[in-house]
Amino acid sequence: MSTIEQDVAAVLDTLRSGWLTMGPQTQAFEAAFAERLGAPHAVAVSSGTAALQLAVLGAGAGPGDEVLIAGLAAADTVAAVGRSGAAAVACELEPDAPWGPDLADVARRISGPVRAIVVAHPYGAPVALGELRSLCDAHAIPLIEDCTEALGAEGVGRTGDLACFSLADDRQLSVGEGGVVTARGEQPASTVRALRSHAMTSVTWDRHRGHAESYDVLGIGFNFRLDEPRAALARSRLARLDDVVAVRRRAARDYAERLRAAGVLAPWPQALIDRASPLAFPVLLADAGARAAAETRLEAAARPTTRPRAALAGGQLTSASELAARLVSLPIPADEESAERIGAAVEALVGPSAA
Amino acid sequence: MRAATATSTEPGVPLFDLRLEAEDLEAVATALRAGSLAMGARTAAFERAFAAQLGCAHAVALSSATAALHLAYLAAGVGPGDEVVVPAYTFVATANAALYCGATPVFAEVVGEHDLGIDPAAVERALTSRTKAVAAVHFGGYAAAVDVLAELCATRGIALIEDAAHTPSATLGGRKLGTFGLAGAFSFFSNKVLSVGEGGLLATDSDEVAALARSLRSPAAGAGLNYRLDEPRAALLGSRLPRLEDDIARRRELVLEYRRRLAGLDGVTLPYRDEDVATSSCYVMPIMLARPEGRPELRRFLSARGIQTSILYPAIHEFTAYRERFPGVSLPRTEAAARAELTIPLFPHMTAAQQDRVVAALEEGLAQ
Repeated sequence: MSTIEQDVAAVLDTLRSGWLTMGPQTQAFEAAFAERLGAPHAVAVSSGTAALQLAVLGAGAGPGDEVLIAGLAAADTVAAVGRSGAAAVACELEPDAPWGPDLADVARRISGPVRAIVVAHPYGAPVALGELRSLCDAHAIPLIEDCTEALGAEGVGRTGDLACFSLADDRQLSVGEGGVVTARGEQPASTVRALRSHAMTSVTWDRHRGHAESYDVLGIGFNFRLDEPRAALARSRLARLDDVVAVRRRAARDYAERLRAAGVLAPWPQALIDRASPLAFPVLLADAGARAAAETRLEAAARPTTRPRAALAGGQLTSASELAARLVSLPIPADEESAERIGAAVEALVGPSAA
Repeated sequence: MRAATATSTEPGVPLFDLRLEAEDLEAVATALRAGSLAMGARTAAFERAFAAQLGCAHAVALSSATAALHLAYLAAGVGPGDEVVVPAYTFVATANAALYCGATPVFAEVVGEHDLGIDPAAVERALTSRTKAVAAVHFGGYAAAVDVLAELCATRGIALIEDAAHTPSATLGGRKLGTFGLAGAFSFFSNKVLSVGEGGLLATDSDEVAALARSLRSPAAGAGLNYRLDEPRAALLGSRLPRLEDDIARRRELVLEYRRRLAGLDGVTLPYRDEDVATSSCYVMPIMLARPEGRPELRRFLSARGIQTSILYPAIHEFTAYRERFPGVSLPRTEAAARAELTIPLFPHMTAAQQDRVVAALEEGLAQ
């Protein structure tokens, strides 16, 4: 059976079962995902955005608190953190890819109201977290890994107290819309699990099986549930994640070679590509003008670049805003026949003068 | 529902059962094989079809009815410090969505055990200078008094939001429920009349409300929300929608049969009237027990005979999270209804034999 037909069979079997939400498929996917990530707990949710909001709440942060954004984060991440009611506070970046946090700056910003630190793995490249972990431990502050761009990258999601993943359509593992939160501790996991479904003390599946007479509501939660067909699809695709990552790494290596040949600075070193799960291929241009011109050419070639980076409120950032002004990201084709598309993207990026 | 928990030897009668057709499965398979699963042509086609059956200008597909309520309140201008008048006899999302906006839910009474809709007189008493919206829930598929509420809200310059989670196609005075206010919030949760798993929709005649909902459902709006549906779910909904009226017609037959057979039964009253069934979407079959204190025992009795039941709804103001935040709320009619209600099995392909078993078990259980 072809891979897509395996996916179709998994989804259709679930539809035929007649049970469409929060049941055995979701449990099986969560167990498989937790095992893959080496995490004690995995909670399937409706999106990566929801995963980030729930993870921040699961870490115990909320209104009146601050959450440090360490490293290069997407604007979406900052907005999702803000949904928790906590204020997102940006930290300066390391100057080189993968643009992890400037640890000295993070340390300076740790103060009373800081209740969690969120660190991203931008574009799917893993950021080294050993020192940040030590810093968090020294201050007893939970570390949340934003892996919404990095499912499948080496080591990601294994250092933080919580980690967030996206199963959106352009991701390494797509179910349309979906996400996952993994957690090391029982307490944050149970908070995330409760808030995903309106903080109800029992879910429909328990009541269906006669395990619960009625329910109480213990907090103010949400409907951030994944449903059974998407869970079945996610489990089917999780089994092939390594193959997907291998294809994406080949595409990234292809980009790096072609860009080097065209005289363009490709910030990801080979060793980083070998550990990444590339979602997009970042390229650093000389200045904002060069970036704008390149983006125009890419748009015209129907190669839209990925979403904006680090558009943080308050203009707090220096290194991130400088970096974001010069960064474009090229799409990573997710299939084997990507050479032509990579070539076209590079051509559009470089422009007619260099062609 | 293959995993029913009957302790009898016969297969159980589930509260709800979903049966999809081959064409539904094919529609989903086709959407999966298309590659890109993100909201696209199938979602747009379903939105057009749903708006057409409802007779409204815009339908915006969303991840849940909770999302639809959140966006509807935001569209009504609900923000920190504001109040939203809601019933307590509803799923907790109706009130939670007000909290998402930073607003305070203010609870108003239902009409009574015979009509579980919000009482317009109680709504009027609950209005203050801070009220930005009123939410009416069409419980079980039966219309709340949204004609009266629409007038009241218009007079006071307040938005009416319909929680139409139970009514994908039901009417009041010939007009579809979900089209009386600024916006209607619909649910496609797995046990709903039109179900997909997780899904919802906001319906509105307002171009501005629709534009806001379309923008805010995507994280690109910068609000930290992802309330999008996706193509496989839109494909399933699009495939099922043409059969919606047939499904509801069958639900109405079953409800009328229940009503004929339960009308004279001691210890039970039936909310709503026989003539209301023809315009209801008949989401569930609620009965009200004369002896609420006997409800747990009756449910165990029915469960032992393989009859699955539920309670719609525990009252919101009695939940721990709400008692902590909003202590001292007293709603005697709502509380009485919430203690007396029992939901018995109802689904379109329910057989006469299954219905016989439910009625017989109820008769026996109530006689004890």
